Amino acid sequence: MKFSVCIKQVPDVTAPIQIKDGQLTQDTNRLVLDAYSASAVEESLVLTEKHGGDVEVVSVGPDKVKETIRKALAMGAGSAVHIQTETEESFDSATYAKVLAAYYKDAGYDVIAVGKQSQDSDAGLTGSMLAAHLDLPYATNAVGLEYDADAKKLTVTRQGDSGQEIIELPVPCLVSCSNDMNDPRIPSLKGIMKSKKKPVDVKSLSDLGLDESELKSAMKTEVLGYEELPEREPGEKFDGEPEEQVLKLIEKFKNEAGVL
Amino acid sequence: MSSILVYLATSGGSVKRSSLEVLSHAKKEADSAGLSLNTVIVDDSAADFVDVAKKHGAQKVYTISNSLFENHLNTPLIAALEQAVKESGARVLAMPSMEATKDILGALAAKLDSGVLPDVAEFSVTDSGVDGVRPVMAAKVHQKVRSTADLVLVSVRSGSYDVDENETDAEVSNLTFDFDEANLKATLKEIVSSSGEGVDLSEAPVVVAGGRGVKDEEGKQMIEELASLFNGAVGASRAVTESGLFPATTQIGQTGKVVSPQLYFAVGISGAIQHIAGMSNSKTIVAINKDPDAPIFEYATYGLVGDLYKILTMLIEEVKKAKS
Repeated sequence: MKFSVCIKQVPDVTAPIQIKDGQLTQDTNRLVLDAYSASAVEESLVLTEKHGGDVEVVSVGPDKVKETIRKALAMGAGSAVHIQTETEESFDSATYAKVLAAYYKDAGYDVIAVGKQSQDSDAGLTGSMLAAHLDLPYATNAVGLEYDADAKKLTVTRQGDSGQEIIELPVPCLVSCSNDMNDPRIPSLKGIMKSKKKPVDVKSLSDLGLDESELKSAMKTEVLGYEELPEREPGEKFDGEPEEQVLKLIEKFKNEAGVL
Repeated sequence: MSSILVYLATSGGSVKRSSLEVLSHAKKEADSAGLSLNTVIVDDSAADFVDVAKKHGAQKVYTISNSLFENHLNTPLIAALEQAVKESGARVLAMPSMEATKDILGALAAKLDSGVLPDVAEFSVTDSGVDGVRPVMAAKVHQKVRSTADLVLVSVRSGSYDVDENETDAEVSNLTFDFDEANLKATLKEIVSSSGEGVDLSEAPVVVAGGRGVKDEEGKQMIEELASLFNGAVGASRAVTESGLFPATTQIGQTGKVVSPQLYFAVGISGAIQHIAGMSNSKTIVAINKDPDAPIFEYATYGLVGDLYKILTMLIEEVKKAKS
């Protein structure tokens, strides 16, 4: 079976962020493999180790994305496709989905795996948009995957609103992965050495019959800028013995918060 | 007249509060933009909820009833909303952000070739489209976004708006669901509900959530007891759902549920930004933690510093007294 995993390079969201003139800046400038993408890579590796098959990773972005592609190859993916853009700026989710759909139109796969959202934008749109373009059955927010090789079916456990929904999808299909699914492996030294020899197929947008400036002008959403979160009114921290604090809280509940 | 369409999501026999929050805000936006306000209800017995839509300002209510909607499945829900958008001629489709809508929002936008602003904390309808504000970068900053497409989909985080009542005499239109079941390629095999879930966490007026400081079954039972005293729901941070002490469905935060109760207890939760992202819209926040420098105290209305086992034991006793 062939897993094709869409991975994203994101800024390190754990590093400090500043807003200058409405734009985000980070002193570290560190770019990493998105944690949800990493979970999708990990789960694909686990399933192909069990059932046999290949894992390919696909990423869209400028030259610097190569570094992140190498990380996924070092984890164990066998090959990669880099759809290289000229611009350093990001597209919106719909545009990434269009680009990926143009690639998958002529590509072979059994399962397309993606992260359920990405750590930087938390939009969670690209996966189901891609499934819609390719007319694939799909499930999002997967916390567990099992593959039945004989029936060619993928069983997805997804976290729904009122419990876990267990859904059976025929392949080919698409699944978006939660980071609650697994702990992505840290590449070994051997994995890193091997990754340097693995094939990375670099494609331009025009190879896929797309035009970068047309894609940009057709974008339906724009980011106007960034702002600090509204501040919450400072609260009260009690001190003293537990009993004293509890009585103070009960008093506040009755007289201030109106919850008792 | 052009319109705003609000998808009223239902769950367990009622309209989700977050749906009414969206409808209440959409009413204000429709009034100021001079648009009509319509709603669509998609359920196995959608007609049951028409009165709720009328009570909160809907001018027209579309219902789509089918047994396929007894449980969540993405393909039929996408088809139903696609049908409702086309029928109503809406230029904005607003809905609450929840697992079911996160599952379909992208695919629906792709099928309708619309703009889409997911998981916003605020939105406004302008002459040319929709503006929104959404938390990004692990909810550390707000991103201002805009779509000027002819049709814009927007999903709204729970707790972003208050629920208002505006009784209307809405026209009801029952749509015949136009769906070929041959398109239903995915099969729902089973739903595994989390154990002892009496109160829907995302809708509960009171949430008592446990974190890493809750070490064992005894601590968990105290959390459950406090929650039941307030008729509330039990929540948890990622640390204790991963360890297996609390069920995965109770996870609150960036990768779990977003809650906005009247009263939120953070018990033994340090307050990692990923957790804060899921609960910072709560009205009153009580933090109980032994570390006086825990970041959760920056968000807490009331902070109690000390051993959570001692504090919970006394708190349960005092709440019982106050309630009796």
